[in-house]
Amino acid sequence: MIQVKNLSFTYPGAQAPTLKALSFEISEGEIFGFLGPSGAGKTTAQKILYKILHGFEGEISIKGKALTHWGKEYQEMIGVGFELPNHYLKLTAKENMALFAAFYPKEKLLRLEDLFEMVGLEAHINKKVEAFSKGMKMRLNFIRAIMHDPEIIFFDEPTAGLDPVNARKIRDHILALRAKGKTIFITTHNMTSADELCDRVAFIADGEILVTDSPATLKHQHGREAVKVELKSGQTEEFPLKELGQNVSFADFLRQGELLRINTLEATLEEVFIQLTGKSLKA
Amino acid sequence: MKQLLTVSLSDFKMIFRDPSLRIFLFLPVMIFLVINVAVPWLMREFPVLEEYKIYLVVLVTIQMTQMFGFIYSIVLIEEKEQEVSKVYGVMPISRIQFTLFRMLIPAIITALITWLILIVQPFYSIPLGSSLLFSMVAALMVPPYVLAVAVMSKNKMEGMVWVKVINLAVVLPAAAFFVPKGFSWLFGILPTHWAFQGLYKLLLNESFAFEMVVATVLLGLFTTLLVRRFSKTHFA
Ligand SMILES: Nc1ncnc2c1ncn2[C@@H]1O[C@H](COP(=O)(O)OP(=O)(O)OP(=O)(O)O)[C@@H](O)[C@H]1O
Ligand SMILES: [Mg+2]
Repeated sequence: MIQVKNLSFTYPGAQAPTLKALSFEISEGEIFGFLGPSGAGKTTAQKILYKILHGFEGEISIKGKALTHWGKEYQEMIGVGFELPNHYLKLTAKENMALFAAFYPKEKLLRLEDLFEMVGLEAHINKKVEAFSKGMKMRLNFIRAIMHDPEIIFFDEPTAGLDPVNARKIRDHILALRAKGKTIFITTHNMTSADELCDRVAFIADGEILVTDSPATLKHQHGREAVKVELKSGQTEEFPLKELGQNVSFADFLRQGELLRINTLEATLEEVFIQLTGKSLKA
Repeated sequence: MKQLLTVSLSDFKMIFRDPSLRIFLFLPVMIFLVINVAVPWLMREFPVLEEYKIYLVVLVTIQMTQMFGFIYSIVLIEEKEQEVSKVYGVMPISRIQFTLFRMLIPAIITALITWLILIVQPFYSIPLGSSLLFSMVAALMVPPYVLAVAVMSKNKMEGMVWVKVINLAVVLPAAAFFVPKGFSWLFGILPTHWAFQGLYKLLLNESFAFEMVVATVLLGLFTTLLVRRFSKTHFA
């Protein structure tokens, strides 16, 4: 669906490139993610893909056609969930949505009421956006991105600024969009989001992609396949997962005292990220 | 067309809901009072001013073009500050076309109120067709005014400064009336020079076609340059 080869980009006037030869592919119907710390270049890469930044180097093709050759049909096909809330504050939520709905073919538009209900904003539909909290504005960003039923959707930090309940809801909606066959490109510096949502994730730091794979594979490759056993006495010991049932010392250890907890030592995505990039996600 | 109406409608909703912009919609009323009440009163009280009457009428009429120049500059700067402009950047539209179309309604209203003031001013009688033609050319000042301020300003504060600068550039060529004949062409680079000179001739019932053509060409040129620049910076 989306192929990117050696994408480089330097902001006008900047010394060093912000993106350095990024290559990745996104297949139809998958959720692909950029996981990386602040300033890594995630938003920049997305802006190039949704065509508000121009003057990149490298090749980008969408459905086999060069990005630069696409006309207005491209914008009809994509949806963009911006990183920060951006609405007319003096207009109501509904007026904001209706304004941008006017740019899309009518037959593609989803019902506004349904969209507001999806994200729990139905009671605020006629409120001016200046009276919205950041989380409410972000939910409005989310439904604006999908109101014309786009095939390809970009979400830049879709759960940033949301409370856990609403973040959960948005993640579920993103998974539901994938189930409908949408191709989704998200950026995040939240490893839980990346782990839960992404079919494949690319680690990006300082404008470079270090690795791209499924979260499960990454954790598997870089984690330790072992359990850590902790007794109430404070004694701890680790045992390999392999043939744990036949492991005599494991059974002996369990009999030594009262058990406090057993944890598997699978790496988190964040630990893998630190191992591979030498950088923390919370830059 | 439907998009244009929807966008213009929300532009106007925002203008009406913002007290600091709404107030400027009264500018035509003020100009109306100045030209119909204040200027006639001045003429009665100070008959020596009679010979400056035509300049007063020219200057006051041109002010009509400033209302939407100011209002729309602020609308665009605000939408850039709040990053709503990026949303237009991902809509299926041609940015240049969209920008020009968006100036259409304010330009039409500017033409109408300028025409109205020329019809109701009590000093000169001008053919309706000629005054309409002049008003349409004068209204072409709105897009370059708005785009110039929007392109130069990163925020509302800067916007206010640039509004003053552009206002000055609009009014400055009036000085051409008072400098020796040989120097007045120096103001010719500013489109409003030709609007002033054209209106002056129109009021005296002289032919003003040349001035209108030059003004239109200059304004067209400024608009073309500015809209290109604007479409590159505003939507990203
Ligand atoms: N308009 C701009 N002009 C110049 N440099 C910019 C501009 N926007 C971003 N940058 C720089 O490009 C780099 C990447 O920024 P970008 O916004 O893409 O990062 P990000 O990965 O999205 O970070 P975050 O997680 O904070 O959103 C940063 O060093 C930033 O300073
Ligand atoms: Mg970002």
